[in-house]
Amino acid sequence: MSFEPTISLDKDEIKNDNLQDSSPLVNRYSQIYLKHDDEQMLLVLPSQAEINADLPWSETWQELKHLLQTKEQSWQVGTNVCLVAKDRLLDARQLQTIAETLDDVKLTLLTVSTNRRQTAVAAATSGYSVQQQAVAQPLIKTTTDLEETFHTLADPLYLQSTVRSGVEIRHPGTIIIFGDLNPGGKVIAAGDILVWGRLRGIAHAGAQGNPQCRITALQMEFTQLRIADAVARAPKLRPRRLSPELAFMTTEGIRLAKISEFSKRYIFSSPSQAWIDHNQAK
Amino acid sequence: MSRIIVVTSGKGGVGKTTTTSNLGAAIAKQNRSVALIDADFGLRNLDLLLGLEERVVYTAIDVLAGECRLAQALVKDKRLKGLVLLPAAQNRNKESVQPEQMKKIATALAKGYDYILIDCPAGIELGFRNAISAAKEALIVTTPEVAAVRDADRVIGLLEAEGVNKINLIVNRVKPWMVEENKMMSVEDVLELLGVPLIGVVPDDEKVIVATNKGEPLVLGEYDSVPAQAYLNIARRLEGEKVPFLDLMANQGNLLTRLRRMFGG
Repeated sequence: MSFEPTISLDKDEIKNDNLQDSSPLVNRYSQIYLKHDDEQMLLVLPSQAEINADLPWSETWQELKHLLQTKEQSWQVGTNVCLVAKDRLLDARQLQTIAETLDDVKLTLLTVSTNRRQTAVAAATSGYSVQQQAVAQPLIKTTTDLEETFHTLADPLYLQSTVRSGVEIRHPGTIIIFGDLNPGGKVIAAGDILVWGRLRGIAHAGAQGNPQCRITALQMEFTQLRIADAVARAPKLRPRRLSPELAFMTTEGIRLAKISEFSKRYIFSSPSQAWIDHNQAK
Repeated sequence: MSRIIVVTSGKGGVGKTTTTSNLGAAIAKQNRSVALIDADFGLRNLDLLLGLEERVVYTAIDVLAGECRLAQALVKDKRLKGLVLLPAAQNRNKESVQPEQMKKIATALAKGYDYILIDCPAGIELGFRNAISAAKEALIVTTPEVAAVRDADRVIGLLEAEGVNKINLIVNRVKPWMVEENKMMSVEDVLELLGVPLIGVVPDDEKVIVATNKGEPLVLGEYDSVPAQAYLNIARRLEGEKVPFLDLMANQGNLLTRLRRMFGG
């Protein structure tokens, strides 16, 4: 009986495939995120430039609800939240929806930081304290922000739920999923991806171009794996593996190894920008 | 406390409406009062399946427009005490109703009935949002097909995001002989992927089509059929009873299997 190679990869062909959507993959980053900042938490909305301008509000809201429900509840009850709206236009009703959604998970919306006059007015009328930034300043700031993310990754994102079909998770750092990644679901991380469950959907690690990033799962049954700019499809026939596996970049493309063997056998080689078997390297 | 349950699937044609009508009748048979809401505005079918088409006078739209009272629009089933239908309008489309309006109707009905079953339209657009707006629970109907299961998965994700967390699964149109021959996804395969509790498995049966065309829910038929039994079991499980699942494989040519095993299978 002959087995197909674990992963078939045709790098040139795939590069062409991917040429068009590679830039939005890298640029259209994390949608909404939540982070600790001293006593309070920051809820950061993507700026108008970062998202497709026509992304409807309902989708942003959907995303927010998904984020709050799946994210590890690492906050104290009643923690105050500062909404960083950047250049997003928000009306009083939308602010209220956000406040109610936050209230469901025991967070209190207190401050709104924005550089849009209308949003500031809406927030002030609704009784939130407003931090209005001048337009010129954040423009410079966002560019530095962007540059920063290229060098330092954000804190890991820990999700305690199954990523179901149609859901797309993006994060400018490492993503850890305590659950399955179902077919039709997509996870895109600037760092590594760890799935403590079955990986059956699409995972893209090192989405900002770092080939050192890896993807691990308790059970690898992926539709597609991507690391940096390489893509691997699942072969038609693949023996069912019961041990946890890890996907990484080699000079010949993406390969899989048992997690237990990986650290013993492979080291990352900077000149070739790939993981190499150090037994062979000697 | 009455239970508002939405019957949904994402994909069309997997048997949402058939399930709603049969389950409604099965629940009514347990001496519970149940109101069925057809949320498929513009493409209503539930009245047809229940054989109540000619008795529809007012629809949900008329209620919302204030042209009639809610009680006037409800069509009572003569065969079963406690089963009523709130029909959808055929002449309007899904955009003519808002989630808040659906919620209002369902909550109003909840005061008078033990169960409210909402027949959701296919898709995940406004029609779906309307149907789930009032629901506290959901029944996901899927068939053992890749596309249906994928859509079910998507819908479960959307329901969870909306805070509907009590979700049960009905696997419809299972063909035991195809599962046996590994030509169809098994119920276990479906469950493994979706990760929600199973509440019923309904086998594929031509009698379902016959009953649908006659406008008589299978559960009401005089003859005893496996699908009817499956629906009655689901109704009992909804009530919290522990009912063992039907062994669909029981009638499946054990001889055949054995022969296949003997000859190098």
